[in-house]
Formats: sequence, C-alpha cells, structure tokens
Amino acid sequence: MKSLKRGSRLIALMLTVFLIGMGILIWKLMTEASYYISHSPEATLGLVYDRNGDILFDDNAKEGDYPEGHFKDVGNLIGDTSGQMSNTLVNKNLEKLSNYSFTAGLDNKNGKAAIYTTLNHNANEQVYSAFGEKDGCAVAYNYKTGEILVCVSKPNIDPVKGYADIENLPNGSLLCKVFSTTVPGSTQKVATLIAADETMGIDRLMQKSYTCESVYVNNTGIDIICHNEYGHGTQNIREAFANSCNPYFAQLVEDPDWSISDIEKVYNRLGISVNGSEQEDILVSGIVCDSASTDLTNKNEFDTQWGCIGQGTTMVSPCQMMMWESAIANGTGRATVPFLIDYVTNVNGRIVERTETEHTEQMFSATTAKDVRDIMLENGANNYSGIGYPVGVKSGTAQVKNGDEENSLLTGFVDDESFPIAFAILIENREDYDVSTDYIASVILNSLR
Amino acid sequence: MLKNGLSYFGIMFLSLLSHLSLLTVVFVKGNYDNIIDPMILSAAVLILDVAYFTAIRFIKQNTYTFDILLVTVLNISVIFQSCFGKVVFAGKHYIFAILALVLCQCAFRLVSDYRFIEKRKYIFYGIIGVLILSILLFTGSRSMWIDLGFITIQPSEFIKPFFVLVFATSLISLNNKHKVLCFNVVYDNWILIGVTGVIILLQWWCRDLGSLPTFAAVAGCGLLMRICYPKAKLSKKLIIGICAAAAVVIVAALKFAPGYVQQRLNVDIWADQHGDGWQQCQALIAIAEGGWFGKGPGHGRLYKVPAADTDIIFSSISEEWGMLAALLAVFMILLLIITAVINTPRSYFHTTLSVGAGAVFIAQMSLNVFGSCNLIPFTGVTLPFISQGGSSMLACGILAGFLKAGQATVFYVPPKPAMRPDAAGRRQGR
Repeated sequence: MKSLKRGSRLIALMLTVFLIGMGILIWKLMTEASYYISHSPEATLGLVYDRNGDILFDDNAKEGDYPEGHFKDVGNLIGDTSGQMSNTLVNKNLEKLSNYSFTAGLDNKNGKAAIYTTLNHNANEQVYSAFGEKDGCAVAYNYKTGEILVCVSKPNIDPVKGYADIENLPNGSLLCKVFSTTVPGSTQKVATLIAADETMGIDRLMQKSYTCESVYVNNTGIDIICHNEYGHGTQNIREAFANSCNPYFAQLVEDPDWSISDIEKVYNRLGISVNGSEQEDILVSGIVCDSASTDLTNKNEFDTQWGCIGQGTTMVSPCQMMMWESAIANGTGRATVPFLIDYVTNVNGRIVERTETEHTEQMFSATTAKDVRDIMLENGANNYSGIGYPVGVKSGTAQVKNGDEENSLLTGFVDDESFPIAFAILIENREDYDVSTDYIASVILNSLR
Repeated sequence: MLKNGLSYFGIMFLSLLSHLSLLTVVFVKGNYDNIIDPMILSAAVLILDVAYFTAIRFIKQNTYTFDILLVTVLNISVIFQSCFGKVVFAGKHYIFAILALVLCQCAFRLVSDYRFIEKRKYIFYGIIGVLILSILLFTGSRSMWIDLGFITIQPSEFIKPFFVLVFATSLISLNNKHKVLCFNVVYDNWILIGVTGVIILLQWWCRDLGSLPTFAAVAGCGLLMRICYPKAKLSKKLIIGICAAAAVVIVAALKFAPGYVQQRLNVDIWADQHGDGWQQCQALIAIAEGGWFGKGPGHGRLYKVPAADTDIIFSSISEEWGMLAALLAVFMILLLIITAVINTPRSYFHTTLSVGAGAVFIAQMSLNVFGSCNLIPFTGVTLPFISQGGSSMLACGILAGFLKAGQATVFYVPPKPAMRPDAAGRRQGR
C-alpha cells in the first residue's frame, strides 16, 4: 500500500508545481494587465491635464470639441495614440492612462484614469505665441522641485486635426526638440567653465588672463575666430565669459595647468558622452532625453577647442542645459531631475502615483556651483537686465547646416528663492530683426509669475 | 448499486447545473444571429449529458465520479468551442468528444486487468513502432500531420497513451536484474529508455518539439515508478542521480537546440509583437480585455488569431468568458487528475498508469497555459479535452480511461468459501 501511495504523492507533487505556476500566472496577469491593455485597440484612455485642470489630451477629441489650436503648443510633447509620434508623454505612459481594471474589463466608460501634469498651459501658449514666425524650443522648470512648467517646441502639430497632410508638415513638427540634442554654441562655455573651476579652483582660474585680438592662432596653427572683429583685448575668466570670447576659451583649453582628461572627467560627470563613452539617456516622466556628446582628443587641436566652445561635434539638448543651470542655481552641484507628471489617478480616481523631487549624482562641487553662479549672475545683471528678473544666464550662437544658418540660444536661472526657475531657449535660424532669446525668457518668466 | 465517492445524483446535478449556467450565459450574452444556434448547442449538450449519465449506469464500476467529471469537462469544451467569434454549434468537436468518451470506456476495459495487458505488451510496442513508421513515411521532416484529405491525423498524439501504457508493463521483470559489467540492469527498463530516445529523436526530426516535454515527463515519471517498484523506500542517491542527469540533458538540449528554438526561447514578445511574439501578445491582450468576467460568448476578437482554439485557447476562453471561467475549465481537468490522488489506485500497474496519464495532462496544461501567457517559452501544444483537434481529443480519451481504471476498476476476486462481513464492507468502501 505504501508503494501504491507513492504514485499519488508523485501526482500530488506535479499538481502542486502546476498550482504554484498558476498562482504565479494569476499574479503576473493581475499586475501586468494594465500594460497589456495599453496595447489593445479597444482600450479607452483617460485625460491629461495641466496643473490648473486644463485638458491637454483627450483621445476622443474631434475638431470643434475644443477651441481652435487648443493643443497646438503641446501637440508633440503630449502626443496621441496615432503612432505618428513615439517619444511623447502619452505614448510613454499609455499604461497609466488606461481606463481599465481587471474586474470590470474594458467596460469603463466613466473611468477616471488621468495624468495630472506640472505644465502651465496658459504660460505654454504665451511662450508658443511669442516665437512668432520662428521655430525653436523653450523649456522652464522649478529648479527646487523639478516640475516642468513650460515646454514648447516649434513647429508643432495639433493632433485633433489628424495627419491627412502629414507629408506637407514642416520638418521637426512631430518631435519635441527640448529633448533632442542640438549644437549648443557658446552655452557650452558653462560646462567648460565648470570643468576649469572644478579642476583649478576659482583663485587660480581668475589669474588666467589671455588676449583676444579677434583671431587667435592656436598651437597647431589654426585660427580661432572671435565674434568681435576688433578683439576683446586682455580678459580674465569673468570678462571672457560675459564677452563669450572664443579665443580666450581656446587658450584656456590649451592652458598647461590642466589636461584633457580633467575636462573629460568633469564632462562625464555632467552627463556628456566624451569620444563615444556610454551615458545613460535622461528620462523625463518616461520621455527619453538624448544625452549630450562631444569629442575631446588633443587640447592643442582645433576640434577639441572648438568642441569646448560649443561647436564641432558637441551636441546638448535644451533640457540637459536646463538641468546644469539647476545644479548651479541650487548651489549644490547636483541637478534637479525634471518631470512632467505630477500625479496619476487610476480608473477609480484614486491617486496611484505621485512624482517626488529627485536629484542627480554630484556633477561638480558646491564651491564650483557658487563660483559659476556668481559669474553667470554678473553676466545677467550687466547684459540681460531687460529680462526684468535677477537672472544668471549664458547666451550662445550655434552655427548649423555648415555655417549657413545660426541658431540663438540662452540658458539660465532666476536668482530668487520664491521664484526658482531655470530655463533653456533655442531659436532656429535667427537673424537680427527676429524675436530674441531674452524676449522669450522674459515671456516665460512673466507668464509664470 | 455501487457506492461512490460522491453521490451519483449529487454530482450529476452539479454537472447539469454547470452546463445550464454556461448555456444561460450563451443565451443572455452570446453573439448569435439566430436563436436556433444556441438552441442546437443546448440540445446537443443536454442530450449528451443525459445519454452518458444513463449509459454509465450499465458499466459496472466502483465510482461514477470520474465519468461525470469527464463528460462535464467535455461538454464545457463543446460550449466554449461553439462560441469563439460567434455562437455556432461545433459539430466536429462534439463528435470527437463523444468518441473520446467511447475510447475512455474502451481503454478502461482494456487496462482493467493487468494480466491481459502483460500478455499482449508487445502489441503495444508494435503500435508505437507503427506510429513511428507512419511519421517517418508520411508526415515529412518538417511536419507532424498526415493529411488524408477529409481529415488530418497527428500520429504523435496517439503515441502518448501507448507510451504511458508500456511504462506500466513488465513490472514483474523489475525483480530480475542482470549483471552487465559492474551494473545491475533490468532489460525492460533499457528497452523503454531506447523507445524514449527514438521518440525524442523523431520529434526532433519532424520539428514537433512542443511535445518533447510531455514525452520527457512521461518517461521521467514512468522510470521513477519502475525504479522504486520493489522497494519500500526511495533510493535518494538514485533520485538525485536521475535529477542531475535530467538537468544535464535539459541544459544540453537548450544549448544545442536549433536556431528557431533558441529564437523562440529568447524572444522578447513585446519588442517583437508584430513578429515572433505576435500570438502571445495578442493572447495576453485578450486576457486583459476579458478581465474576470469576459466580453461575452462570441464577442471576442482573438478567434482571428491562428491557433486561437488550440494553442492559445486559455486566452480565448478568458477573453470571451472571463478569467474565472478559464480557471474553472483548468480546475475541472485538475479534478480529473485529483480523483486519482483521492482514490488511490489498487495496483502498482494502475498507479503507474495514473502517474503517466497525470504527467501527460499536467505537462500539456503547463505548456499550453503558461506558454501562451509567456510564463515559459511558447511551444504550441493543446489543452487536454478543451482544445480543438481530433487526434489530441482521442488520445486524451484513452488517457482518461487509464486514470479511470485506477480508481473505478472492479477487481476480479476469487470466490472464497466464507468472508467476514466487515471485510466485505471495506472492499466496497468507495
């Protein structure tokens, strides 16, 4: 009889293993069902709101349901379910928007699943309008909390109007440029200044004076040309930063008091991929922000110097520029991680997720942050008082399309505890009579105030 | 009247109730063009119920529980199969369900007497040989089907019950060990290992790798039962040795598996949801869409996906009937196996048969349910009794007969001049 029961025990063992497997399966299905349903064509999605309750995404919206152009300033940021745009808030967070529960299945017509963003739609629309005829992008966030308040990219698209005319859309309409890398121009000098200060310290750095005579012939005999055709004369780092003097920064890179590996080390900590080194992409509420990159080979060579000045192969996204500003403005050397999603509610309206403020690893020392902050504030006070706020800023002009076009950039922060805003602005193919970056900065800050 | 583990009328009532409940759902929530369709389905199901409940009363056995559970499962299967996409009576599946019931009774009769099987064991080896030859000659190296025009047959499905059966034969020979080199060898065990090897090579050759784990489970359980046969205690060293050898074989098989198998084992279904992961992604989405209570019979869309009524049927049921119904179907099949644990078979032959049949059912359920839900690699095997497919259904019917024989057999009892009343009572205990 004992040997007969052995068979029963063996069957019982197999049944037990199977039942354990079933338990795991049910748990897996319960926990992942929302993800599965996000791939279903029958799923209904909730709404996306701005910080004041304004609707930014409605999957059922048709033309005429909302005022003309209601979604146009956020079209390529918030996105839709058409599949035309992949790196958008909706596409990256479909699971959270799903009006679904396993108990009720798909039958949730009055579901309350929603994403409440940190965006200020009113401010966003004002900034979008401020670009006028120009293309570009602008992003601003609270550098204390990480909440993105303004995020605009032009050209844009109104998803409600559909994609019937997709072939005639201007280039870049389906992409939020805030998260894509661009040539940073002289705004890269902020990173180079941080690297120099971090390596040498402000006292030794302040002793570095170089002469700009409009053109500097570097150690390998190649010209570094300054935007000032008369030259800036002899300057220290503060003056050169304010003048955005290319010959000064080329000579600084050549300085024997630091090496190329010193620059590379700090650049890497800033999240810049140097010579193809691996850097993790930055995730902004699921949206992938390209990480910055550059090539540094020999500090005496033009390409390396040109890269540290913000040209050549150097590429940085406006979002990452803004994060560096937060690390400076905070005075800690650690950037505040930006986010778009404030909180998420499920199908029953219960808050199931709330974003907390996070900071990056230490990018540079607090001392360096303070030094750079002072230099930027001095630049802001002397040259950008027209913005109307106490700002620390750095401008840049980036040559693109083989020098045929110039982009204008501005990155900075407000030095006000009660109004802690950092921003980055890009205007493409700017000419003298166009809208300026400091005007856009002024619109951003006024609309958020 | 024989005594039963559960009252005959009690379990019959439960069986009818389950079918009537499902049929009510078909009428109320089903997707049908004409009321005639669910009426035909209902009539077919209820006629089969009543006919079978009546017929089994003429078969002398110790318990009717297994029979009624079996017809319950098969009629649930008929209801499910009649509803995917739209409510239309699945006549072909119904016929195979009836044939499975008949084969179950035939197999039950066949294996009731151990001596009958033992004398004819070479016939069963021969049948396995014929089936292997039929695969070699007629299916081709990349197929598992023989197409006769009006019907397709999958010979590997029919190998399974006979494979289970031969592992339960020659049990007496296990005591006759022969010295070969320094090992004590039982010739029959090595013959069975050889048969297993041939079947595995054959499955590999015709690319029916999905069935390999099932055959491996039968062989593993069968050998374990044979090795332990004469001893009261299990040899732990031997079991550890067998497990280690099995682990080595599995690792080696995975390492040297063909490219398409490696690809299937390592596929990230969501990254490749329009390629190799398509079926599983659709299956998981369908489960999510169905939720606990389903969209309603005939209201699903998974039926458009290939193998919706076979390899990913758990998801199809979940989508239309809800996860609870799909779990109920699996639980009903489990109950068939559990009866073999509750009603311990009364001979080692029947115990080995029950273990083998249980191994087939559990292995196939695991491969089907867990595979289609991406818990394990997707191999594409049928869910016993539920999936569409005549070969699978008939093979399951025979295996069900083996399970039934272990618990329902009325053994031949030599007449004795006198028997104590209390002993007689014990013999009819279930």
